[in-house]
Amino acid sequence: MNWGGGGRKLMPDNSAMKQQKLPAHQLHFSARVVLTIFFATGVFCFCMGVILILSAQSIQEIEVCPILLYLFFWYWGLNPGGDVYMYYKLYGFYQNHYRYVLSRSNNQLVGKDIMVRDVEDCAPFKVSQNKTPIAPCGAIANSMFNDTIILSYTLKSSVHIQVPMLKTELTWWTDKYVKFQNPSLINLSDRFVGTEKPPYWQAPIYELDTSDPGNNGFLNDDFIVWMRTAAFPTFKKLYRRLYRVQYFMDGLPAGNYSFNISYNFPVTRIKGEKSVVLSTLTWSGGSSLFLGLAYTVTGAFLWLASFALMAIHMTMKKKKLSYRR
Amino acid sequence: MFCSKKKSLEVKRVVKANDREYNEKFQYADNRIHTSKYNLLTFLPINLFEQFQRVANAYFLFLLILQLIPEISSLTWFTTIVPLVLVITMTAVKDATDDYFRHKSDNQVNNRQSEVIIDSKLQNEKWMNVKVGDIVKLENNQFVAADLLLLSSSEPHGLCYIETAELDGETNLKVRHALSVTSELGEDISRLARFDGIVVCEAPNNKLDKFTGVLSWKDRKHSLNNQKIILRGCVLRNTSWCFGMVIFAGPDTKLMQNSGKTKFKRTSIDRLMNTLVLWIFGFLVCLGIILAIGNSIWENQVGGQFRTFLFWNEGEKNSVFSGFLTFWSYIIILNTVVPISLYVSVEVIRLGHSYFINWDRKMYYSGKATPAEARTTTLNEELGQIEYIFSDKTGTLTQNIMTFKKCSINGRIYAGEVHDDVGHKKAITKEKESVDFSVKTQAERTFQLFDHSLMESIKLGDPQVHEFLRLLALCHTVMSEENNAGQLIYQVQSPDEGALVTAARNFGFIFKSRTPETITIEELGTLVTYQLLAFLDFNNIRKRMSVIVRNPAGQIKLYSKGADTILFEKLHPSNEGLLSLTSDHLSEFAGEGLRTLVIAYRELDDKYFKEWHKMLEDANAATDKRDERITGLYEEIERDLMLLGATAIEDKLQEGVIETVTSLSLANIKIWVLTGDKQETAINIGYACNLLTDDMNDVFVISGNTAVEVREELRKAKENLFGHNRSFSNGHVVSENKQQLELDSVVEETITGDYALVINGHSLTVYDPWFITLFNIVYTSLPVLAMGIFDQDVSDKNSMDCPQLYEPGQLNQLFNKRRFFICMAHGLYTSLALFFIPFGAFYNVVGEDGQHAADYQSFAVTMATSLVIVVSVQIALDTSYWTVINHVFIWGSIATYFSILFTMHSNGIFEVFPNQFPFVGNAWHSLNQKCIWLVILLTTVASVIPVVAFRFLKMHLYPSLSDQIRQWQKAQKKAKPTSSRRPQTRRSSSRRSGYGFAHQEGYGELITSGKNMRVKNSPPTSGLEKTLYNSTNWIENLCKKTTDTVNSFSQDKAVKL
Repeated sequence: MNWGGGGRKLMPDNSAMKQQKLPAHQLHFSARVVLTIFFATGVFCFCMGVILILSAQSIQEIEVCPILLYLFFWYWGLNPGGDVYMYYKLYGFYQNHYRYVLSRSNNQLVGKDIMVRDVEDCAPFKVSQNKTPIAPCGAIANSMFNDTIILSYTLKSSVHIQVPMLKTELTWWTDKYVKFQNPSLINLSDRFVGTEKPPYWQAPIYELDTSDPGNNGFLNDDFIVWMRTAAFPTFKKLYRRLYRVQYFMDGLPAGNYSFNISYNFPVTRIKGEKSVVLSTLTWSGGSSLFLGLAYTVTGAFLWLASFALMAIHMTMKKKKLSYRR
Repeated sequence: MFCSKKKSLEVKRVVKANDREYNEKFQYADNRIHTSKYNLLTFLPINLFEQFQRVANAYFLFLLILQLIPEISSLTWFTTIVPLVLVITMTAVKDATDDYFRHKSDNQVNNRQSEVIIDSKLQNEKWMNVKVGDIVKLENNQFVAADLLLLSSSEPHGLCYIETAELDGETNLKVRHALSVTSELGEDISRLARFDGIVVCEAPNNKLDKFTGVLSWKDRKHSLNNQKIILRGCVLRNTSWCFGMVIFAGPDTKLMQNSGKTKFKRTSIDRLMNTLVLWIFGFLVCLGIILAIGNSIWENQVGGQFRTFLFWNEGEKNSVFSGFLTFWSYIIILNTVVPISLYVSVEVIRLGHSYFINWDRKMYYSGKATPAEARTTTLNEELGQIEYIFSDKTGTLTQNIMTFKKCSINGRIYAGEVHDDVGHKKAITKEKESVDFSVKTQAERTFQLFDHSLMESIKLGDPQVHEFLRLLALCHTVMSEENNAGQLIYQVQSPDEGALVTAARNFGFIFKSRTPETITIEELGTLVTYQLLAFLDFNNIRKRMSVIVRNPAGQIKLYSKGADTILFEKLHPSNEGLLSLTSDHLSEFAGEGLRTLVIAYRELDDKYFKEWHKMLEDANAATDKRDERITGLYEEIERDLMLLGATAIEDKLQEGVIETVTSLSLANIKIWVLTGDKQETAINIGYACNLLTDDMNDVFVISGNTAVEVREELRKAKENLFGHNRSFSNGHVVSENKQQLELDSVVEETITGDYALVINGHSLTVYDPWFITLFNIVYTSLPVLAMGIFDQDVSDKNSMDCPQLYEPGQLNQLFNKRRFFICMAHGLYTSLALFFIPFGAFYNVVGEDGQHAADYQSFAVTMATSLVIVVSVQIALDTSYWTVINHVFIWGSIATYFSILFTMHSNGIFEVFPNQFPFVGNAWHSLNQKCIWLVILLTTVASVIPVVAFRFLKMHLYPSLSDQIRQWQKAQKKAKPTSSRRPQTRRSSSRRSGYGFAHQEGYGELITSGKNMRVKNSPPTSGLEKTLYNSTNWIENLCKKTTDTVNSFSQDKAVKL
């Protein structure tokens, strides 16, 4: 009988893994657990919703549609609101169009490859009609928003002072310091020799901000903001931040204001619209009502559902008991 | 396969012995076999071709081509090529390893040594170098290398015994018979080397039981049939040597012809998956069309104006053309809908399951030191959906070990147990008991085992008991031989007889030897030679056999044993009292599931016998109605018998068969038993192992000797069954001659295996095509795999105790089209939630720092993160059995997601490839916002909660069996664990008696003709002690194939109800 001893080797290991006996706990959702989860989640969602709605309502926001007006007067609400941000908002502008989105060259924007050797990236705004490369190339850059908006505060009936605005820190840190880089810090214009400005532009890339030489080239904040393409055809982008000095220490004081807009950006041609938005923020940013409403609805639904489930559970339990009897 | 590139079709085969040059003309295949599919050169093209036959793979290839067109290309090329390459490489690696093992086993087989006559000398030659026409020497217990024409053997009259288990699964020995002209060649090498016969025969084919040919030798023609052929895959038994001439070699052998092409087997889930993938394509195309139409409209209404900023070529301004291009773009973008990783995941899960089957100690059979083995990794989950089991009887249901259990002699029951494993494969030749035992030592041995009183009766010399044992020693077809060591060896063709003869021997009535005319037995120490006057052979109708012998005292006696129903009618009226007593005993025996035989004798007077004998000789010489006359004469002499008693033999059932069969039938699995046995035996066994129960009033035994008959019988059975009630269908016994199925221990395996497999069905539903995006290949496939492999919804013990759990699998309730659509709906809902909640929340929103937050990239990151979290939570909810591995995989995959996300969005990688990784800084910025986390949370809640509610309702309103069991399991855990072994079902059975269960007709004739008796009394034993070739590997390979073909073959016949 040698097959007793020799065969032992074939005996599978008695390890927990191999015998499918790994220590495990089995999830079993009893009615109580499920109902508790439902109630708790419902409460949480409902509260969250209410908080979000309240905070969204605390935001002061004013939107002005200067379709054809270059000067627009309006009145800012009751309290100054602290930090106030100025946005431009576009309607019906398809920055998420799948070809539009692709039409850029990240290689160029880090200053590595100004002459864009990559063939496909920037079509159809890669080279101008006389075959000189465009900088910055691509449809996104070409369509950059180029209106200038100046906000004025009517201090007295006829005294208008310009509200001081900051055009720094409008962008993500990574965008400003990693994703966008100028070919060199000095003599920017020399670096762009041999390139042409995008066809729709009025000034070349190195002359975007005449007041601040550091805010030029690919590192121009407005340019970077524009290049971060929006997810939906209606979007607002940060244009300026309130510089809290003098009268504006606590934000915008209540009073009359006016916008002075140089109309450059053509939206009527694409059947779009544009507007200017001034807004304050809350803890969750400038959130819209939607999230708050969605949370409230979900919470309410969960409550309803948990009541329904409880009712079903009770009747089934009764039935079971009556069966047993 | 190389054998498939055979040139012109062979119509007939001409082979000349010992003439390689002559045979080379025909370019017959040599004895090398290839079961492997590829070699180094052909692997890549063939394997790729095979893989691209899969719909999903082909689709991805198509996508790749589409992406070469710049107008259409909407995604970068690596998004499709990475998953495709991943999937294809994994499959290729698996195929390559499989094939490597086939190569290895091929090599092993091809390099096996055999003895071949070359240049008039016996030389060792590798199997692969054996050529058609060679003369090969085989020794006992060796595997046959090729299909041979038997020329001569060590046994008289050129007989040789083979076991064909590897070919057809039958374990009983078969006799092969050389032509008398060739058997004279003996083992004379020089004569054999001069043998130059020419065989003309049929072309290679796969019919195992047919051969026609003609041998021309020395100007004479001899017809050849299957009886002269030894097939490759057989094992030579009980024959110390034989010589054969190779007729078919290698791929031409019947074994290989039967294996055919290794067909890729698909399970029903595979087929379902393919259908579903096709549906998904349809869905994809519909989606593409809808979106393209939408695009056309948009282009027409809005997009036209927006072109100012895009400046497209003139041609593309046409909105219809734009829609057309968009259609193809969407086909590419939506590629994630097609679950390319599904196939690979399923394969990995199957592989895991096979390992679990192989590792399972509960499926380890310590008796033979064999663990369960999943021979194919592709069909595992099918085990959870078995509806029919076709089982062999001998060796599967029964151990084929006959035990002499009880006897009733002259109205008195003696009980006990005499073990005999004659008939068991290994013991056929080795009845290792010394012959020289004295009655005394023997008595002492059996004394412990058997009823004290029987030994007493023997010692006291009770004539009835003596006569009983004498009959057992005389009336049989067993052959005896003594080997060199002086051991007495019995060759039995039916294990029942072996048990009876051995029992007699153990009680002192030792059958020693026989010649055609005499039988010598040793009766309690004294040798007595009986003259064998007549042998009234067994057959199906007679259900009995008798011998007529003359003892040394001159008395003529007829000894008969047979089925009770038959023999009781033949008894002398004076036996009435004894008859009713014995009949009661028989009922008792049968009630215990024992197989009974009735034993009786008759004293004949000389004159009467002589007359009868003369008539028998006349009848034998007669030409017309010979058989009828003989039968009549048999009937005439086998009457007025005196009842001696009855024997009861146990055909031991395999361990656990009763429980298994009960479980199987509870699990609604229909069992068909295919056996070459007699009907009675089949029914007997059926009752014994609970296949048949007494409350089944309709039992169909389908018997037939040919395929046509079987089909006819099945049709009748069907009509009958459906006429009555469908529920009867779980207990047929199919008795089918010459057709057996080798399902080895599948019966045992399945029952333990089913829990693992019911689960498999579950896991597949997780593959919701909507969930599988590009991310999922990397991020979420591991948890799914872990769940597919490790999940156990019900503990093994409970699944054993509750076989009804099996039914949902059979009915395909766990993964079917309806289920698929539910998944689709669920996926649709989830995807809507995943899109519209972030959409609403992002609309017109700014970040905490006042910056624009609703940019394209942040939106993408938010959605992807929500998706991964939702999917993980979903899988976590679906996992009912949390092991460490599940934890690691589920939490690990979320962790992996985030780490990969942050890596891809890091500064470093952007600086190296600015164009490929434009998402720099995105993860950090987006996930820093409270608002985005709130969105993710809401998305998760909104997608998961309805599912939980739905499950809750389902569990309360329509709880499935496994839900109930899980609940019970939980309740049980709280209570004290109690043993829950099902009580052993006691067989209740009416009386059934049969005869000679595995008995074959015709052995009587062999005995009286003396053909199978040895001329010389000292057989060379060199071969006897030889151990079996350690050849499991290739035989398994071949055997696998044969079973496959046999399987499909018999299913064709049997299932066509």
